[in-house]
Amino acid sequence: MRKPLLPRQDALWWWRHPAYRRYMLREATALPLFLYALCLLYGVRELGRGETAFNAWLAFMGSPLIIVLQALALLAVLWHAWTWFQLVPKILVIPTRNGSVPGQWLRLAHLLPAVLCWVLLPLLAWWALGHVVGGAA
Amino acid sequence: MNRSLPRRSQEPVAWSLFGAGGMLLAFLGPALVAITLLVLPALPAGDGASVHAAILAALRHPLGGLLAFFALALTFFHTVHRLCHGLHDLHVPLSARLVGWLGYGTATLLSLLAAVWLLGL
Amino acid sequence: MSGSLTVRVQRYRPEEDDAPWWQSFEVPWSEDTSVLDALNHIKDVEDGSLSYRWSCRMAICGSCGLMVNDEPRLGCKTFLRHYADADEIVLRPLENLAVERDLVSDIDPMLAHIETVQPWLQREQADPQGTGEYLQTPGQMARYESFSHCINCGLCYAACPQFGRNPDFLGPAALTLAQRYNLDSRDEGRDSRMPFLNGEDGVWSCTFVGYCSDVCPKDVDPAAAINQGKVASNVNYAVNLFRLLRGGDDA
Repeated sequence: MRKPLLPRQDALWWWRHPAYRRYMLREATALPLFLYALCLLYGVRELGRGETAFNAWLAFMGSPLIIVLQALALLAVLWHAWTWFQLVPKILVIPTRNGSVPGQWLRLAHLLPAVLCWVLLPLLAWWALGHVVGGAA
Repeated sequence: MNRSLPRRSQEPVAWSLFGAGGMLLAFLGPALVAITLLVLPALPAGDGASVHAAILAALRHPLGGLLAFFALALTFFHTVHRLCHGLHDLHVPLSARLVGWLGYGTATLLSLLAAVWLLGL
Repeated sequence: MSGSLTVRVQRYRPEEDDAPWWQSFEVPWSEDTSVLDALNHIKDVEDGSLSYRWSCRMAICGSCGLMVNDEPRLGCKTFLRHYADADEIVLRPLENLAVERDLVSDIDPMLAHIETVQPWLQREQADPQGTGEYLQTPGQMARYESFSHCINCGLCYAACPQFGRNPDFLGPAALTLAQRYNLDSRDEGRDSRMPFLNGEDGVWSCTFVGYCSDVCPKDVDPAAAINQGKVASNVNYAVNLFRLLRGGDDA
């Protein structure tokens, strides 16, 4: 006679195995990044309302809670970028004569320019804004 | 074999936005957070006017404004996509349709606000 | 290297039991003792009523899949020597599938999904008999080759939490096979497969957890295949949209 035991997934399935926990961590990076984007949107609005409003936004971004959020967002976006670039070669198949472009090359082709952006853009902003401040003083 | 074909999913729209946002965040995200977390607070104090004016000028420029819009809009769509799927994974008892409408609706609204406020600079 | 290990096995006899229960055995092992060898030892010496599937004992038939310490593995490809430091190993049937008896799972859902994607070469018109084989360069074969190594063992279905959540999801093996045929230069059947890939239960239920590829004993990399399928489905969506906008039919 047949009396199969039916499978059921319980709500904490993702906690029960390291592979699933890593997946959830990757997905969870979206939360601090969403909140950070809200902060930036708020900044765009305050930017348009004049210098006093903008300075108030700068103070808001410097408040302890938001500093913690930004630190979390930084970790989150770095983990997002790292896991994202691991997955790119799986989707980006560039056929060559005898196969496809090796995954490591594709990964590096993304990671190296990205790291350059991560380092150079803040330096550029520091230079540009510092220049502006220094020049007017 | 006479089998009825499944209905085409609309997910490709969401996934494309998710993918574009993910790529943008991977390249520009760390720089952006570094700027707001480290660079802005480290600027010499005392001349708020010129910092405000400089950033305003940058975002008023068509290219700057466009970049800012895409950075915000694609980030909203990327994060919302992951959060919606996350709710499903966590067995939150809301229908996928409802979560989709709430999530992508929010992302659309926030992107519209970004556009309006950027254009109003 | 040798020793003795406690093997704890989930038992379930539908005609006698209402719920599963555990049974432990002491199993002697040496350098080359596999989990399958352990099961055969238990059946031969300890309890002849233990039921499990197996055949080739060399990781090609796909019969002996089970959970070993909560990881989907092939019994013939998992060795007791790796668990030498543990007190025991725990064996139970594949996750996400119904249990018929002991370690025997009902793999019908997986087989039905594989059948759904029409995993065979399709031609608009078959070449006449006697004209020879359909030719293919090594480069053309390389495009889909790893996806053709699937032995239908079901470990990926045990690994996939989206299949665990929704058994109507076509799942890793089926979607990989679809991609394998869509990428095969000899095949002309993509149009008949796309509707299944394009649906909610097709590629779009996958969230790239990637555990399926981790557990695959033949390095098929189903996660890559499915997500390449997402790109194909995306292109298909856009092409269809243009067709709709030009007044055509929804394909």
